[in-house]
Amino acid sequence: MTPIVIAFYLFAVSTITGGLMTVVSRNPVHSVLWLILSFLSSAGLFVLLGAEFVAMLLIIVYVGAVAVLFLFVVMMLDVDFAELKAEMTRYMPLALLIGVVILMQFALAFGAWDYSDGAADRIASPAGEIHNTKALGLLIYDKYIMLFQLSGLILLVAMIGAIVLTLRHRTDIKRQDIVGQMMRDPAKQMELKDVKPGQGL
Amino acid sequence: MISSDIQTVLPEISLAVFAMLALLAGVYNGKDKTAPMMVWLTSGMFVLLAAWIGYGGEGTTTAFGGMFVNDGFARFAKVTILLSAAAVLLMSQDYMTKLGLLRFEYPLLVALSVVGMMFMVSAGDLMALYMGLELQSLALYVVASLRRDSVKSTEAGLKYFVLGALSSGLLLYGASLTYGFAGTTLFSGIIAAADGGVSLGMLFGVVFMLAGLAFKVSAAPFHMWTPDVYEGSPTPVTAFFATAPKVAAMAMFARVVHDAFGGIVGEWQQIIAFLSVLSMFLGAIAAIGQTNIKRLMAYSSIAHMGFALMGLAAGTAFGVQAMLIYMAIYVTMNIGTFAFILSMERDGRPVTNIASLNQYAKTEPLKALAVLLLMFSLAGVPPLVGFFGKFYVLRAAYDAGLAWLAVAGVVASVIGAFYYLRIVFYMYFGAEQDDPLDRGMPPVLWGFLVVTAAMMLVGIVNLFGIEPLAQAAAATLVN
Amino acid sequence: MIGLEHYLTVAAALFVIGIFGLFLNRKNVIILLMSIELMLLAVNINLVAFSSFLGDLVGQVFTLFVLTVAAAEAAIGLAILVCFFRTRGTIDVEDVNVMKG
Repeated sequence: MTPIVIAFYLFAVSTITGGLMTVVSRNPVHSVLWLILSFLSSAGLFVLLGAEFVAMLLIIVYVGAVAVLFLFVVMMLDVDFAELKAEMTRYMPLALLIGVVILMQFALAFGAWDYSDGAADRIASPAGEIHNTKALGLLIYDKYIMLFQLSGLILLVAMIGAIVLTLRHRTDIKRQDIVGQMMRDPAKQMELKDVKPGQGL
Repeated sequence: MISSDIQTVLPEISLAVFAMLALLAGVYNGKDKTAPMMVWLTSGMFVLLAAWIGYGGEGTTTAFGGMFVNDGFARFAKVTILLSAAAVLLMSQDYMTKLGLLRFEYPLLVALSVVGMMFMVSAGDLMALYMGLELQSLALYVVASLRRDSVKSTEAGLKYFVLGALSSGLLLYGASLTYGFAGTTLFSGIIAAADGGVSLGMLFGVVFMLAGLAFKVSAAPFHMWTPDVYEGSPTPVTAFFATAPKVAAMAMFARVVHDAFGGIVGEWQQIIAFLSVLSMFLGAIAAIGQTNIKRLMAYSSIAHMGFALMGLAAGTAFGVQAMLIYMAIYVTMNIGTFAFILSMERDGRPVTNIASLNQYAKTEPLKALAVLLLMFSLAGVPPLVGFFGKFYVLRAAYDAGLAWLAVAGVVASVIGAFYYLRIVFYMYFGAEQDDPLDRGMPPVLWGFLVVTAAMMLVGIVNLFGIEPLAQAAAATLVN
Repeated sequence: MIGLEHYLTVAAALFVIGIFGLFLNRKNVIILLMSIELMLLAVNINLVAFSSFLGDLVGQVFTLFVLTVAAAEAAIGLAILVCFFRTRGTIDVEDVNVMKG
C-alpha cells in the first residue's frame, strides 16, 4: 500500500459516504454538511489525478458559494422537515432497487474500460509540461473562447433570473436616493429660529 | 483565423449583444414602461436575423476548431426557430399586459434562450452542445415561473427545473463516457472513433445521451413534465415552449445522432423507434380525457414529437428531411392554435376549459372555421398541410424498412384524430351555452389565426417551397 | 495501483446515489437539488479521470464549464424554490399537487 493508494481509498470512501448521507440524512442542514464533505473529498481525488486547478475551483465555487447558498435557503425557509421525512420510507424499496440495478449495470460496463482505436491520436489538447493552471488558462481564453463567452451569458441569465423571480420592490420602506441626498442644500433644509430667553415662539 | 470565426458566429453575437444593450436600456429607463417596445424590437430583430441567415451564406463553414458548424441544416433550423419565436413574442403582448406580467426582462430572456437554441443546432462539439442547451434551458426555467405569485406557475417552473436539470445530468454523464471512449469531444472525432465498433461503456454513453435528449423533446417515457408545465405556465410562455424550443431540441437530436453517432445507426435506431411509438400512442390516448385545452396541447405535442422522431428513426437523409418538414408544419399549426387559445376569454378573464367552446361557431363563424382548419390539420386529415407532414415521415420510416413503425403511426394518428375532432364537434354541435366566450380578439392574434389557417389550405399546392430547402438541409447533415 | 476503472467506479456510485436520492426524496425539493449536484459531481469525476488518463486537457476544460453551469443552475433552482415556497408555504411538490392528470 503506497501512500497514493491509501489516499485514494480515503477520499473515495468519504466521497461516497458523503453522497449517501446527503440523500438519507433527516436534517437538511446535515445534508448540506455531508454534501460539503463529498465535494472536499472529490477535490482530493482531483489532486491525485493531477488536476489541481479544478480541485481548487471545486472548493471555492462549491463549498464557498453553492453549499452556502443551499444552507442559506434551508435556513431562510421555515419548513417543517420532520413531516417531509416521515414519507421517505415509503419510497425506500423502489429507490434501492433502482439504485442497485443501475450500479450492477455500470459494474458490467466498466469492468475494464476500452478506449476506441486511435483515441490517442484524436486528443485535441494534450497535457504538456506546462503547469496545470497555466495550461488551462491558455486553452479557455484561446481555443475555447466561444464556450467561455457562452458561460458568461449563462451566468447573466442566472443573474437576471434570480432578480426577476425574487426581487420585490417594496414601497413601504425608505430608500437611498444618492443624487437627491447629495444635492441637498443645507441652507434650504433648515431654518434657524432665534428663541429669545423666557419668551418662547 | 479569429476574424473568420467571428464572421461565422456573427448572427448569434449580434443577438447576444442586442439582448445586453436592451437590458441596459431597460434598466436605465427604469421598470417596465419600455416592455411593449422591447417586445416589438426583439421580434423585429428575430425576423431580421432570420432573413440574414436565410438569404445569407451558402455551403458549410465551421468556426472555433469545429465547435460551431454553420451548414444548411443549422440554417434551416435557425430560420424556423427565429420566425416562430418572433411570432409567439408578438402574440404574447396583449395577454401579458392584461395580467400585469409584461416585464422588460421577458423579451430579453426569450432572446437569450434563442441565442442558446442557435448554438445548440450549430454545435459540432459536446461542450458547445451542452453550453447552448443550458443557456436555453436556464432562460426557459425562469420564464415558466414568470408569474411568480401564482401557485401553478411556480409549480410548473419547479417541476420543469428539477426534471430539466435531471435530464441535463443524464446527457452530461453520457457525454463524459463518450469523451472517454473517443478521446475527444468533437463530433467529427467521435464519428471516427465509433468506426471500429463501440465498447459497452460507449454504448452506455449513447443510451444516456439519448435519454437526456428525449427529455428535452418530451418524448415518452420522459414526458411527465410536459402536461404540468404546459398547464401551469402563463399561456404565451406555453405557446413559446410548444414551438421554438421543440424545433431546437429536435434539430439537436438529429445533429447528435447523425453527426456524432452516424456510424452506429444500428445501435440507436431501435431506441428511437421505441421512443417514437410510445410517444405517439401515449400522446393520442392520454389526451382523450383532458378538459383543459393547454393540457390537451401538451399531449398533442408529445404525439407530434413521436411522429417527428419517426423521421429520425429512419436514419436516412430522407428521414431528416421529413423531420424538418414535419417540424416546420407543426410549428405553424401550433402558432395558429395558440393564437386562438390566447384569445379565449370570458368577461375579460382568460379561460382554458374545452367545454367553454360549446356553440362557438354560432357567435364567431369565421374564427371557428379557422380553428376547424387548424384542428383538421393537426389531426392529419387530408388534404390539409398537416397530412403531408405525416405522409413524409411515414414514407421515410417505410422506405427505411420500418414498416411496423409506419403502421403504428397510422393507427396512432387515427386514435389522435378523435380529440381534435372533439373540439370541432363542441364548436359546431356542442350543448347550448348560456355563458359564451367574449367576442372579438386583439388584431395581432386574429391575424396569426387567420393567416396560419389559410396556410393550411394554400400550402397544399407546394408546401411554400420548403421541400427542396429541407432536402438540401438534410443532405448537409447526412452523408 | 490505482487505475482509471477505480475512478469510474467512484463516479458511477456517486451518480447512482444521485438518482437514488431523486427517488427517495420526492417531497423535499432542497435535497432533490442536492442530488442533482451529486450527479454533476459524478460527471466531473468522470471527466477529470478520463482527462488525466488520456493525457488530454479537454476533460478538465469541460469540467470547468460544467462547474460554472452548475453554479448558475443552483442559483436559478433556489430562486424558483423560494418563489414556490412564498406562494405555497411548503416545499413539498408531491402531495399538494395543483395539477393532476
